[in-house]
Amino acid sequence: MSIIDISPLVSLRDVHLAFGDTEVLKGIDVEVKQGQAVSIIGPSGSGKSTILRCITGLLRPQRGMIQVGDVRVDGLKTESDFIALRKRVGFVFQQYNLFPHLSVLENLVISPIKVGGQPRAQAEARARELLAKVRMDHKERAYPGELSGGQQQRVAIARALTLQPELILFDEVTSALDPEMVGEVLTVIRDLVQDGLTCMLVTHEMRFAEEVSDTVYFTEAGRIVESGPPSRIFGSPQSERTRAFLQRSSGAAVARQSSPDPIASYLTFDPLRLAV
Amino acid sequence: MANDLALQAGRAQASGRFLPALLRDPWFGLLLALVALGVVWAATGTTPAAVQALWHWSPALLRGLGMNIQISVLAMALGTLVGLVVGALSLSPSRLLRRLTRAYVLLFRNAPILVLVYFTTYVFPFEVNLAGWYLPFPDWIKVVIGLGLPASANVAEIFRGAIQSIPSAQWEAAQSLAFKRTQIFRMIVLPQCVRRMLPSWMNLMASITMSTSLASLVGVHDLVDTATVASNTVARSDFTILVYFTLLALFFAYCYPIARWTRYLERRHEHY
Amino acid sequence: MIDSVLHAWVAFFKPLGLNYSFVQDPGELSAFGHGLLVTLQLCAWTIPVSLLFGVLIAAALTSGRPWLARPLQGFVEVTRNTPTLVQLYCAFLVLNMLITQKLGGGNPITPFAWVVIVVALHKGVFHAEALRAGIEAVPQVTMEAARSLAFSRRQILTQVQLPLAVRFALPALVNNLVDLVKMTAIASAIAVGDVTYESIMIWSHRDNVLELLLLILLYFGLLTWLVSVAGRWLEDRLRMPGYGQ
Repeated sequence: MSIIDISPLVSLRDVHLAFGDTEVLKGIDVEVKQGQAVSIIGPSGSGKSTILRCITGLLRPQRGMIQVGDVRVDGLKTESDFIALRKRVGFVFQQYNLFPHLSVLENLVISPIKVGGQPRAQAEARARELLAKVRMDHKERAYPGELSGGQQQRVAIARALTLQPELILFDEVTSALDPEMVGEVLTVIRDLVQDGLTCMLVTHEMRFAEEVSDTVYFTEAGRIVESGPPSRIFGSPQSERTRAFLQRSSGAAVARQSSPDPIASYLTFDPLRLAV
Repeated sequence: MANDLALQAGRAQASGRFLPALLRDPWFGLLLALVALGVVWAATGTTPAAVQALWHWSPALLRGLGMNIQISVLAMALGTLVGLVVGALSLSPSRLLRRLTRAYVLLFRNAPILVLVYFTTYVFPFEVNLAGWYLPFPDWIKVVIGLGLPASANVAEIFRGAIQSIPSAQWEAAQSLAFKRTQIFRMIVLPQCVRRMLPSWMNLMASITMSTSLASLVGVHDLVDTATVASNTVARSDFTILVYFTLLALFFAYCYPIARWTRYLERRHEHY
Repeated sequence: MIDSVLHAWVAFFKPLGLNYSFVQDPGELSAFGHGLLVTLQLCAWTIPVSLLFGVLIAAALTSGRPWLARPLQGFVEVTRNTPTLVQLYCAFLVLNMLITQKLGGGNPITPFAWVVIVVALHKGVFHAEALRAGIEAVPQVTMEAARSLAFSRRQILTQVQLPLAVRFALPALVNNLVDLVKMTAIASAIAVGDVTYESIMIWSHRDNVLELLLLILLYFGLLTWLVSVAGRWLEDRLRMPGYGQ
């Protein structure tokens, strides 16, 4: 047990964010210590994904403090500031992570080469290591369009690790997958957590959240209703709303939330739309 | 600082009313400004010499524009009629007909319009002998035919595309209701085709209208030719600049509203 | 050897009523040949320049900078809604004259260059519209993914948006290039010696309009066919496996 109080790797204090007139975050406080896995659960529209996007500056809050390591994210101004931050934070989205015009290997090496300035040989070697870790090494020449949803997400996770981030954010990464593919992705995340990587997950997979998390946050309508160790949140929730949410989610199948692939639809060329 | 992700809420929906939208349009504002300038000049008597010359020439210029419009309307009418026939034939069960129509479309879509205009102007005789009567065959009608040919080829393609885009399920459903082929065509397929064809047809109309400017190269007294004559007659460099940019403005004033209306129609019928 | 080929050509078409005897006049033959070359050069220059303009205009329109996008949008509307011939006249008769006056003689921009600039800009605008639709069709999340990988705005444009936009816009771009090849014929309006202009010179004192027009049609047909073939080859090479078409 350390005598020195380790300051958290990520901390959000009183973060408020509104889109136009709609308030999405109404005072969020989150803390993630190094090496911890934190899950954020809650109904759709409660602001979970917005919290993650604030951490890397994809969205800017109107009020509040966001700190990642020694960087005050809410104080960043220029594009290069954000780029420096994003080299340290990995992000995996619900779908359409991968670049469809590049092969799996190309997808993994493009960032280390273009952003990290690494030589190709080094980037490829590391990429193959990561692909082996997510058990996709045999598909390095395949293109994203040829992979299943679960395979794509595993590659996306490998890609998020290429710049060796201190922190990795998962935004509902299994919500768009068919049930049989959810497990393979969760296995990869479990391995990462066990390796000691600091993770924040927004997820609907309650049992998984209970299993891997050190802390669970329950959000509803832009506020953190309750937070604490998984045993408390899932075993004996203090708030009535937490109980109601958990009751609604247990048993019912997780709603598939995949949106139609815009790339596939736009590639069907309509001759009537020819500019004559 | 604005959010990086632009939300749908940020994108303004076009207001339902036409007039406020018109008043806010920057092009309309420019038009009003020019009219206001003209009024100021007329009221104070300080119209620049070049503008006075332009005003003097404006009836001739507008007659020229009328010629362009006349040619484009007739060429589109001819092109649409012929194109619909060719388009219908291109779907015929006869392989020979399909090949012929395909060759027709390929020929007239790959030929430069200027070459076709030269073709009809120089190859057709300058007068026609009909049962002893010598009828003059004016140049502008030759241009109408010259533009009507590529128009027909494009209409044929648009028509064929529209028919083929009707899901076969509709044909089958109509047939199962014991409709005859011609009835299906007339009552179910054609109305939908017209809606689908409309934006592309209007794009073609705009393109043909702009191609009418080529008539000036074969001696038709259209707007461009009139402008050239005016520029040579007045022989002032500031008038030359003014008249050529007026050419741009006149064509723009005619074609831009049509383009906007086409886009409006496209948006309205997106779900068809 | 060439003489006998030309002789056979003239002899072949004579009974069909087509007079190709101009090919036996060395002056006219070389003028026509030069015209073929000039048309080819016009296409060789305008195609890449129009694509470059298309990319630049599309990037500017989607840059999210209103001071850049709005005037450019105005320019795009004017270019799309006015005839190319009129644009060419404005550029050549007006701008060229102004530049010559300013520079007092040594104007470096030749009529050939003006044709390339005007036609490339005109078609560049259409390219830009097609590319813009492609850029806007890239999924929002893929853009976020690129930003999360610490890409700069420029890197996102060149590594993600443009490659995908080009694949989307390719059929429209090829169509535009076919149109562009046909459009080079208006060079004859400002006396640039392309194949149309040289043909006009020949037929104005030989009166063999039909024969020359047939040759021109064949030539343009060949050029547009080459462009379509190149387009199909490119489409094949850029195909994204898994999005089968």
